[in-house]
Amino acid sequence: MIILANGNTTEIAQRSDETTHLWVRVGDLPSATGWQIKPQGMCLGEMCVPLPDDKVEEWIADAEDWVWMCYSEFAYMIGQKYVRDGNVWSLGSVPEVRRSGLEYGIAPDFEVTDRNGDTLRLSDFRGRKVVLFTWASW
Amino acid sequence: MYESIGPDRFELISVAQDSGNPRAVGKWFDRASPTFRCVIDPTHQISSLYGWVNVPSAAWIDEEGTIVRSNEGAYPGESTVRFSLGKVRFGDDSFARATRDWIERGANSEHVWSRTELAERLKPVDDDTRLAEATFKLALYFEAEGDSERALKHFAAAQRLAPDNWIYHRQGWTHRGTLYAGWKVLRRSSHLRKTTDKSFYDPMGLPGEKHRRFTEPEWLWTPAARRIRRLLRR
Repeated sequence: MIILANGNTTEIAQRSDETTHLWVRVGDLPSATGWQIKPQGMCLGEMCVPLPDDKVEEWIADAEDWVWMCYSEFAYMIGQKYVRDGNVWSLGSVPEVRRSGLEYGIAPDFEVTDRNGDTLRLSDFRGRKVVLFTWASW
Repeated sequence: MYESIGPDRFELISVAQDSGNPRAVGKWFDRASPTFRCVIDPTHQISSLYGWVNVPSAAWIDEEGTIVRSNEGAYPGESTVRFSLGKVRFGDDSFARATRDWIERGANSEHVWSRTELAERLKPVDDDTRLAEATFKLALYFEAEGDSERALKHFAAAQRLAPDNWIYHRQGWTHRGTLYAGWKVLRRSSHLRKTTDKSFYDPMGLPGEKHRRFTEPEWLWTPAARRIRRLLRR
């Protein structure tokens, strides 16, 4: 199964008995979706969303010797849009992340590679003025 | 612009939003042999994050990491943009002048946006926009995998969900070739110019700006076409 999220493509294992929902092994959650399970709920960076008590048993399940989380149900709850074609799932941006950043004028951080293959992060330039400019060859 | 303002005074990050990279992008970088930072963002992650629906776009980010201005159609000067069969004029030097002012005067520049202004000007992100974004990413994935049929299907779906997003139109059309994409851009621009009051780029609100709407394209600019026209005139 392939997950597209946050600009990354991740290949993860699939629950063979469940194909209508997106089930992700708990250990694969951070790399595939950015989220991880903590005592306070599902966390993305410093933001945490508590899981509804009545859903915990439904959304977190033991199967095939692994612990799985039903990510598509969680995404639905937080309003994260997704679209799927076969075994490829594409996750949209998390609404809360978009809102908090842009409302307060915080420039969303990103990580990209330059021509030489070096990684560049926007936050590396804190303390300097930055002009961010996009273009395309088409 | 970068050299004339002074490389030591700010960072310029130039982001190529191209799924056909790095071949498509490399030749442009080589031609310009830039001295600033050039990065490739094949999944258009940065446009999504900043809510931009067209290129070229630009944001000013201050020393604290705060956006103090964000514009689409931020051409560094007046540019003639060539779309396979025709050319259209866009832009002016107002954005470059304003940028210079901000680099020099910082928060005192009159072109800096307040937080309220920023919140008002940034496009709202609704459910359809976010679904379109996920769909577009899916299209880019299948394009990279060489699955043309599924790529085109999802490009079309993204275009339907977010009809005002020119990036989805232009990148999707480019999948069928640049000749096709150029022709489609001109056709759609022409249609919108006649039937709506939509601009290709929202006004930036800078003194002296022009060419925000589609100008009447000058068709058949290609060298071959020019030669044929010259022959006919004899």
